[in-house]
Amino acid sequence: MAFLFVALPLLVAGILPLVGKISKKVLPDLLANSVFIILLALVFFEGRGLAGREAAILQLSWLGEPLNIRLMLDGFSLFMLFAVSLVGFAISLFSVDYMDHYGSKANFYALFLVMTAGMNGLLLVTDLFQIYIFLEVAAVASYALVAFGLGQDELEASFKYLMLSAVASAFLLAGIVIIFGVTGGLDFETVSQSLRSLDARYVVGVCAALFILGFGLKAALVPFHAWLPDAHPSAPAPISAALSGLLIKVSGVYALTRVFLNVFGLTPALSTVLMYLGVISMVVAAFLALGQTDIKRMLAYSSISQVGYIVLGIGLGTPLGILGGLFHLFNHALAKSLLFLNSGSLQMSTGTRNLDEMGGLGKRMPVTAGTSLVGSLSIAGVPPLNGFWSKLIIIVALIQADQWAFALIAVLASVLTLWYYLLIQRKAFFGKLNERWSAVKEAPFWMTVSTVFLALLCIATGIFFAGAVNSWIRPAADALVKGAQTMLGPLGF
Amino acid sequence: MILEIVLLCGLVLFSVAAVLFRDLLKAAISLAVASLLLGIIFFLMKAPYIGAFEISVVAGLITVLFIVTIALTKTGGDVREAKAASWIFPLFFVVFLALDFFVMRGLMGKIPALQGTPEQGAFGEVLWKLRTFDLVGQIGVIFAGVLAVLALFRKRDKDE
Repeated sequence: MAFLFVALPLLVAGILPLVGKISKKVLPDLLANSVFIILLALVFFEGRGLAGREAAILQLSWLGEPLNIRLMLDGFSLFMLFAVSLVGFAISLFSVDYMDHYGSKANFYALFLVMTAGMNGLLLVTDLFQIYIFLEVAAVASYALVAFGLGQDELEASFKYLMLSAVASAFLLAGIVIIFGVTGGLDFETVSQSLRSLDARYVVGVCAALFILGFGLKAALVPFHAWLPDAHPSAPAPISAALSGLLIKVSGVYALTRVFLNVFGLTPALSTVLMYLGVISMVVAAFLALGQTDIKRMLAYSSISQVGYIVLGIGLGTPLGILGGLFHLFNHALAKSLLFLNSGSLQMSTGTRNLDEMGGLGKRMPVTAGTSLVGSLSIAGVPPLNGFWSKLIIIVALIQADQWAFALIAVLASVLTLWYYLLIQRKAFFGKLNERWSAVKEAPFWMTVSTVFLALLCIATGIFFAGAVNSWIRPAADALVKGAQTMLGPLGF
Repeated sequence: MILEIVLLCGLVLFSVAAVLFRDLLKAAISLAVASLLLGIIFFLMKAPYIGAFEISVVAGLITVLFIVTIALTKTGGDVREAKAASWIFPLFFVVFLALDFFVMRGLMGKIPALQGTPEQGAFGEVLWKLRTFDLVGQIGVIFAGVLAVLALFRKRDKDE
């Protein structure tokens, strides 16, 4: 059944361009949205099957003959699949109205589904080379999606993204080749055992550096972030939401975490490097976000900053740190997608992304303003919203591990985050209504439904955070903690 | 050994040339030569399947596609090559050789010899029987490429 996570989106993506010939709008909308509903149901089904077990290796068979397709499902991949399906559903719901004016909707959905298939595949793979392949599936689809508007900016941003992403892939491939040369295998299990039995620290160091460069570029951690502030704002709003909310987390954070915690094992040196990268991203991107007037650019910088939090938590390597990092990953996926979708509503209604030209739009677009406030406060970490709890867990974990300096910086960066999110709120929604916008209307029905859905999820996850943590996030963290602890030992608690 | 070094140097030379040429036709041909050399290197390293793929697909098919596209879209007029090409190229080459000599040689010494892999076997068998899931991924990549072309070269609808 788990194979459907990859096969179903690919299959539907294959028939969508044909369906698009028959029906330009209704059928593609229906098909794409139902795929995400089925995927969500599938996550719950697989989750029940996994209950109580650590991980399941699923061997596919065809007419009784075992095929050599093995998928691995553990708490971590199940949790990520849940996030992808949930946010993906909200995004495809939003696209029903939003993508109308771009034209060629069937193609859009097809590309989006291929990207989803790539991400889902990446979440289920069992070896290093497959990570690379599914990374490319998602990436190739995302280059086209960034350029989907076909304007000068879009094409330029897409080209820049393509180039830097190709560099990232080259680093990853080099790392994988060296690992294969050393261990003679690619399977996570084989590689991790051979690396432990071989004394190849120098080689492992070089590979770790290559992987950090590659996944760092994909996750847009600070020295490697140059492509993101161009690519994410240029894409159509639903795709910005998918890139910031999902893709950088799956192809950057998930892959990095899987390789470093489950395959290499988190050594103290690696842990330090990841934590510093996290903190630098967090602070530098927050300052860069402050200076922006383009709402989507500001949100893009904010994504870099929040990925910094996630990497800081996971890089710390203590069970609580990993838990906080993963919880923040989920919360950020919800809230940042919500905010990017809201920016799409604003752009559609006003025709601009410049915050200085907006003002007082809260009166004309109350739902967008309300949901955007929820998203902003959630990312900024205001209680009782979900972002507050995850940041709290990360900070408590840092203090428990005696990393006071990191904890202090995390708190201060959170204040900066609140600052620029309040700037967005004040400039766009509060204050006197600009005359130009007196005829502006609230966003269309499905766009509003989608943003309200995400906003309610943010609030619900905040209020019932204990339930969310216990049912989805703790199993995910448990799957990672073992890898971290074998190397780090009892560190700081 | 000398043959291999000459081939590798040629590979780097033509790869850099492909990046530095402003005339697209020259760049495409440099790329073709580079991948031809790479294909020969693969043959020498006893990887005939990869070598054949490299030469037939990258050096052959893709070059033909490039040249057809260039021929169909070229507006005429000579392109002036960048001045930087004349000095960046040798500099890059020297830096590359130095890097290769100091870093890679050290690294190669440290890499233990390849153990017997569980993935040995005929090429086709490896691809079909052992790396089946990779094929699914490759289908995905090709799919994404086709859809990308469909999306990026679409006709604008009337309401745009």
